[in-house]
Amino acid sequence: MFETAKQLEPDPVIEAYKKDVDRTLIRENLRLSFEERLESLMRLQEFADELQKDLRKNNGNKIR
Amino acid sequence: MATRFDELIPLLAQAQVEFIIIGGVAARVHGSARLTEDLDIAYRRTHENIQRIVQALAPYDPYVRGAPRGLPFQWDERTIHNGLNFTLTTTLGSIDLLGEVTGGGTYDDLLPHAVIREFYRQRCLCLDVEMLIRVKRAAGRPKDFEAIAELEAIVEERRLLEDRNPPSQ
Repeated sequence: MFETAKQLEPDPVIEAYKKDVDRTLIRENLRLSFEERLESLMRLQEFADELQKDLRKNNGNKIR
Repeated sequence: MATRFDELIPLLAQAQVEFIIIGGVAARVHGSARLTEDLDIAYRRTHENIQRIVQALAPYDPYVRGAPRGLPFQWDERTIHNGLNFTLTTTLGSIDLLGEVTGGGTYDDLLPHAVIREFYRQRCLCLDVEMLIRVKRAAGRPKDFEAIAELEAIVEERRLLEDRNPPSQ
């Protein structure tokens, strides 16, 4: 029903963004199992949550 | 709250829900390093499958994400039949149930573009990386440009890996 992305023309905007992609992270992830990739995502989420909590707490301290 | 992919995915798989993992989690499975907060799935809209989804998620308090508590939202088969796409919060984290995906269509349309991946002792369907790019391109959101660029880089990196380590005949 749909053509695949392989048949899509390169998009100059995406090509420009591609220069900033950190390929070392991709290569590192490709070495992991599928489950390890999801486990590292959950750890990243927990880290982001903690960071947000700290930011909120610090902003609250500034207001006082 | 971090989404418990290690609980949500086996929960759906063990309930025999017919679903395809799409979006950021599918990208992650393919090698993405980007942070995503929810589990996006395309689900088959048959009566039996809707019944399985409702039963599987019911113990985890599904509710419309971002909406104030107290709305007349009922988590039941009728609600799913009457709607199509749902962005939900549960006690296991955030999940988006998509009956139709922009640029990708329904579960049955996406099925030929799904690959089997095994994690948490479950064999699950994930949208392949090429179709993920197609779907994100179709959505046309500027916030997806970085994600599309990374997915295209993943395709290139995988090709490089295959060239270096060709599969044995």
